[in-house]
Amino acid sequence: MLSRVAERVYWLARYIERVENTARMVLVHSNLMYDLPKKIDMSWYRLIELISCEQQFDVLYDAKTERNVMQMVLTDYRNPASLVSSLQFARENVRTTRDVLPKETWNRINRLYLLVKSREDDVLVRSRRNNLMEEVIESCQSIVGMLSGTLSQDETFAFLVMGRNIERADMTSRILDEGGFFLGQQKHLEQVQAYENVLWANVLRSVSGYLMYRQHVQTEIDGQGVVMFLLNDIKFPRSVLQCMMMVLKTLDDLPDDSGVRLAVEDLKDFLACRTVFEAGSKELHDYLDQLQQKFMYLNDVIYQAWFVPKHVAA
Amino acid sequence: MELKTYISPGCFDESLAEGGQPRAASRVLVDFMQQRSFKEAQELQKLADAAIARQGISFTVYSDQGNIDRAWPFDIWPRTIEASEWQDVERGLAQRLKALNCFIDDVYNDQRIFKADIVPEDIVLSSKNFRPECVGIKPRYGAWANICGSDLVRDASGQFFVLEDNLRVPSGVSYMLENRAVMKQVSPELFENLHIQPVGDYPNRLLSMLSSLSPQEQGVAEVVVLTPGIYNSAYYEHSFLAHEMGAELVEGCDLLVADDDCVYMRNIEGLKRVDVIYRRIDDEFLDPEVFREDSALGVPGLMRAWRKGKVAIANAPGCGVADDKVVYAYVPDMIRFYLNEEPLVPNVPTYLCRRDEDREYVLANIDQLVVKPANESGGYGMLVGPHASAEEHETFRQLIIDNPRNYIAQPTLTLSTVPTLCEDAIEPRHVDLRPFILQGKETYVTPGGLTRVAMVKGSLVVNSSQGGGSKDTWVVDTEVDYVV
Repeated sequence: MLSRVAERVYWLARYIERVENTARMVLVHSNLMYDLPKKIDMSWYRLIELISCEQQFDVLYDAKTERNVMQMVLTDYRNPASLVSSLQFARENVRTTRDVLPKETWNRINRLYLLVKSREDDVLVRSRRNNLMEEVIESCQSIVGMLSGTLSQDETFAFLVMGRNIERADMTSRILDEGGFFLGQQKHLEQVQAYENVLWANVLRSVSGYLMYRQHVQTEIDGQGVVMFLLNDIKFPRSVLQCMMMVLKTLDDLPDDSGVRLAVEDLKDFLACRTVFEAGSKELHDYLDQLQQKFMYLNDVIYQAWFVPKHVAA
Repeated sequence: MELKTYISPGCFDESLAEGGQPRAASRVLVDFMQQRSFKEAQELQKLADAAIARQGISFTVYSDQGNIDRAWPFDIWPRTIEASEWQDVERGLAQRLKALNCFIDDVYNDQRIFKADIVPEDIVLSSKNFRPECVGIKPRYGAWANICGSDLVRDASGQFFVLEDNLRVPSGVSYMLENRAVMKQVSPELFENLHIQPVGDYPNRLLSMLSSLSPQEQGVAEVVVLTPGIYNSAYYEHSFLAHEMGAELVEGCDLLVADDDCVYMRNIEGLKRVDVIYRRIDDEFLDPEVFREDSALGVPGLMRAWRKGKVAIANAPGCGVADDKVVYAYVPDMIRFYLNEEPLVPNVPTYLCRRDEDREYVLANIDQLVVKPANESGGYGMLVGPHASAEEHETFRQLIIDNPRNYIAQPTLTLSTVPTLCEDAIEPRHVDLRPFILQGKETYVTPGGLTRVAMVKGSLVVNSSQGGGSKDTWVVDTEVDYVV
């Protein structure tokens, strides 16, 4: 497999995952907005903070309105982290790797892209926006499902799984951090405590973890439980630990992976030695920060192992 | 839909003979269309357009800045050809490519054809597509042009002529395949009831032809498709063909030539040897060590590897020497010289402006003729005399006088027409046909090819870059009983 193609396939998977996560985030955030009382300082703008685009938002928009936030997060091409940008990048990556992917990959990405483009105005209307987000999520899932159902479990498949899981782990840790941050800021308000469960339930929903938490953790939903579940659950497909295990598995199908294997093992060790964190505490924030650093390092070693062209014969 | 009033004055219509009678190969098709209203036909067209948008079938026009893909223009009325007639054309095309390959091989080796005074040496050696770097090379099977797209037209009598041979990097074959896929969605009934020769075998044939060129006898040949990248107008086709063949789609930066003169691609596990390169970039960009130094698309050392026989390149470098409109005029003579046969598909009569008497005729009758530069493709830089202004005539007269070697002229043919769905009615539009011919160890001709159609009324320009569209092409076996 060509290094250049491997790199694009890896990013294709990351972008598809990012599109799905963005849509999910918007859906869940909308629900949360409707649940929480007005007194609580919960704004649309938190979405901008969640994807770390505050600076750019200030440059591009004047007011922190729902309309502006939705444009920025969903349909603004000027924002490289917007849903439509991720989708466009995914599409460009498929366009340049069509030779190794099933034909439907292109058809579906293209269709999804045309769908979102043709309905850009829908994101400004709440009911239609939710509808569109659901369609986007469905489409992403169907692409992933189609790939699982048609691709041989070869190198291409390995890079897809790797990209998807790294992006997923990154997003999970981000959502935990932001959820905690929000609580940390507001804890003095009694009203918030009354709604804490609602908040954590929504955090779980934003990573599709509500049902599985209910079935497997079987305690009430609280901050500590959710933090543990999303970081360390061994079975939940979006927990950071499970994502890392998936990455580890892909290494069996790839050549010369020693650096990468070490980096993933190190991440797993890091997850294993965690202490119990208070949701919203500085300790948790620091811990997640270190986790993010480790994801970045992992991305670097992946580049060194496979994407930076080698000059020796195999 | 009423087709009785359909007329294509002075032209050979591919579907309907004079008086609105369907030709044999079109009978079932015409029935099908007649049973539908114009509105229903428009619905079918919408279905086709939607399928094309969904599948992202697109092409690129160099002048479109930023917009790198446009939907592929397609018309739902297919062009039909009877299988028995096609058989003759097929033989003629195979014959022609065989002779062209003999010629290229001869030009770079013994040059017998110059010595026999059949083709003047100076016009070949002065061609900008003659590559001295290729002298003395002997590709396998004597096949230099492995993939050829010849443009065919019919005149008013219905006779097929070869208009030109595209031997450098001919494109369009993916659209031939996609058009068929779209058409099957639009009118599945017709495919069920008619014996239309399938075109889908092309990628297999292409792969086995390319594999047959491999310098290594043992094992499975590593075949790659070399593309200039995403901004090339045919990128869609490059990725399509790589995908269909299961070959790697590579760019110049993915390849390197090592000290052992072999070509390698940069894989995730390290370097991997490449045996055959189906290149979709022009000669000048292939190897910056030999051709254009500023080329970032090519692979330094590639010519060295090829000359040493470590890698096969299809089409071989230098084969463009036979893709020249002056050389074209001599193809019938080549067929006689190398194969000792008579050409089965004739050339369009061609005036070579380098010849004094031809030039005088061209200058005097420029308003009746089509004038073409010898070395352009894509319909650029040509003059259609009857459709041009007096000023344009004068410009071309001057161009010809300044550089006679570079121009040829041909009579303006009344190209055949096919009924086409236009704004308010079914109207005749002019078409040409580009079949694809493969030559490696064996020879293969596509059944039919890509039909291009000039969507503007009366226009003869079919190039997609200049407002042309396309149609599916059906080679119909009318001798097989219709299944009803």
